[in-house]
Amino acid sequence: MTVEQHQREIETAQHRHARHQGMEAGEVLDTVEKAFAGNPQNMQYFYDLFRDVYCNGIKPHPGKEMIGTMCVQIPDEIIHAAGGVPVRMCNGFYTDEEIGGEFMPAKSCSLVKASLGMLKSETNPYSDGIKVIVNPTTCDQKKKAAGMMREMGYNVYDMELPPVKESEEGREYWRRSVRKFTHEVGKLTGKKVSRKGLKQTIKTVGLAQRAYHRLNNLRKQTPVPILGKDIFMVTNAYFFDDLERWTAATEALCEEIEARVAAGHNAAGRRSPRIVFTGSPPVFPNLKLPLMIEQADGVIVADETCSSNRLLNDMVSVDEWFMYDMVDAIADRYLKSCTCPIFTMNDDRIRRLIELYRSFNADGIVYQAFAGCSVYEMEQRSVAKAMEKEGIPMLYIETDYSPSHSGQLLTRIEAFMESLKARGRHK
Amino acid sequence: MNIKTYIDRIDLRRFRFWFQLATFALLVYGGRLAIDLGNSLPTFSCGYNKKGQAGVCYLLPLQHQLAEPWSQLFSPAGLGVLGGFALFLLWFVVLNKAWCGFICPLGTIQDWITSLRKMLGIRYSTYSDEQFKKLSLIKYVLLLALIFMPLAIGGQFLSHDWATPYCQICPARMIIPVFNGDFSQWMVDFSSTGKMVLTALGMFITGLFLIGSFLKKRFFCFFCPMGAFHYIFSKLSLFKLKKEGSKCTVCGDCYRVCDLQIKPIADNVVKKDILMDDCILCLKCVAACPEQGALRVELLGKTVFESTKDGFVKRMGLEKKE
Repeated sequence: MTVEQHQREIETAQHRHARHQGMEAGEVLDTVEKAFAGNPQNMQYFYDLFRDVYCNGIKPHPGKEMIGTMCVQIPDEIIHAAGGVPVRMCNGFYTDEEIGGEFMPAKSCSLVKASLGMLKSETNPYSDGIKVIVNPTTCDQKKKAAGMMREMGYNVYDMELPPVKESEEGREYWRRSVRKFTHEVGKLTGKKVSRKGLKQTIKTVGLAQRAYHRLNNLRKQTPVPILGKDIFMVTNAYFFDDLERWTAATEALCEEIEARVAAGHNAAGRRSPRIVFTGSPPVFPNLKLPLMIEQADGVIVADETCSSNRLLNDMVSVDEWFMYDMVDAIADRYLKSCTCPIFTMNDDRIRRLIELYRSFNADGIVYQAFAGCSVYEMEQRSVAKAMEKEGIPMLYIETDYSPSHSGQLLTRIEAFMESLKARGRHK
Repeated sequence: MNIKTYIDRIDLRRFRFWFQLATFALLVYGGRLAIDLGNSLPTFSCGYNKKGQAGVCYLLPLQHQLAEPWSQLFSPAGLGVLGGFALFLLWFVVLNKAWCGFICPLGTIQDWITSLRKMLGIRYSTYSDEQFKKLSLIKYVLLLALIFMPLAIGGQFLSHDWATPYCQICPARMIIPVFNGDFSQWMVDFSSTGKMVLTALGMFITGLFLIGSFLKKRFFCFFCPMGAFHYIFSKLSLFKLKKEGSKCTVCGDCYRVCDLQIKPIADNVVKKDILMDDCILCLKCVAACPEQGALRVELLGKTVFESTKDGFVKRMGLEKKE
């Protein structure tokens, strides 16, 4: 026994980490793929994409200059126009969170810790090729994470975002940030952002958004033709996938789902409560809560999170196709409609939730807050109050990336689903 | 494709261009074909464009009528003023401020100047919030002046040299006749102090108009007393610009394309009837709105044009050619 053990190759910490990460991703992918019957065939592209990148060690953009983005406010259009590939660095791995834990206080957000952990580990899918990480000044934890990323040796670009978005001062401040970024990103990639180039990428990103809307709109149907976990897979893939390939895959999925709608296909159960998901973003593989909801016979029909709807909903509108107008238009789109809780007011988010609840014919809202994500935790009160006023049932869940407490969580979710079903009967 | 989808997908820019061209031709040259739409038009179909006018801007007869001696104005004969006004209101009620965005020849000329600027690739200017608030009052001052100065003439507090004061300073008086080869308005009238002051001011404002509208979209409309006059009655109109605040994500696309920099169009999510005093109802906001049904135009309570995702995508050129 002892002899055998000594002969075995000793696994390095990095290796072990990569193996654990593959296991974590694989386990979630197995659930996403196999725990639900009748997945759309065109989802296979997305399942495979995640498996390739997170289990099989295939790098997503070999030889390309990747620009890491830390939040939803960094304009993809501009990065693409500068010849870079935007890759969202927000990470959902528990294994990475454990590594990232050394950087942040114990009671901080899982997502920030996991993102730092990913950047720290040399086995991450983006390890070679990140030119710069663009970090907007959103929440305090992301802001302070920038220093730690610098310490790790990354080139970090702080992109200044105002804390108030309603004022003209805030708008102008952000427009300046974006104009400066347009200039600087070109220097970093060595390709100046040109008028023609930007016009083209506004279109390419717009086409991706169009595909997203086409898909998202189908979720308004009763019965609902696609599960929310699949939508999260699609939108999460947008974080790092090749833009045009993603659009094509999403369009293909739309075709299939449209056919399903025509055939009256129901992706959920007969009486599955329709859920709007909001709060801290589910990022692969942390699809814990969405999966639990749908395994507890709920179905997520809409969401208000920065890993999905907020990422793709609002589209740029340009009046005059010149740099001056395009850049400002892009700036406005990323600021004005953003419902990020870091802003002083959250009226927009509340209004948006009510609108999603109504237009997607939902039965209730599930609000996820990562323990330590203080902004979402703080907004809970006002959102809960507003929902109560509207008579919209809402379940607030504080959680993190750890796999523990899942029994407890599931019980709460099941109870909520049951109450929604009971409510449905009395309606 | 049904008619509603067709309208919601319309290429508004092109539609407006041709519509404005047609109405411009009608109002500026229609007189040559003996077209006469009367003299109560709620738009700058300038009465000084004698050779081609197909109708006269209501502000000209209004200032004339108000300058009648008070003994006449405040007698049964003064009811004639009401007749002209009723006709004005009748015209106005049908289209509301769309008279500005789709028909006004002076507005159309500004849009042409904007096109010229765009061709040259020069960026537009904007006002800051504070400038906007202050300058926005000018049109009301002009409106008050164009009502009270003629009244003062009728009451013999002011000499007849100050007659039709607004027309004298309106850039339309000088610019529109030019399209019929008439440059006779391009002069300063030295016959009296009043006339001299007004016509010199007119020259100055015309210069300002040409430069201003090159730098700023719909520069003049912001100061237009007709626009202010419209606004007083806009609630009566059958044609309305409506907003569904609950559907708005406050993305600001509408505000950004607005020639008049009207902020509430994006930021106000409470007001249903969102037509503001500076609005010219050009409907660019509706065309630029990506949210289904957030902005819409109603005629007699019926939606005739509304923002749709589909229409937005088409107008942004995001449809693959089949």
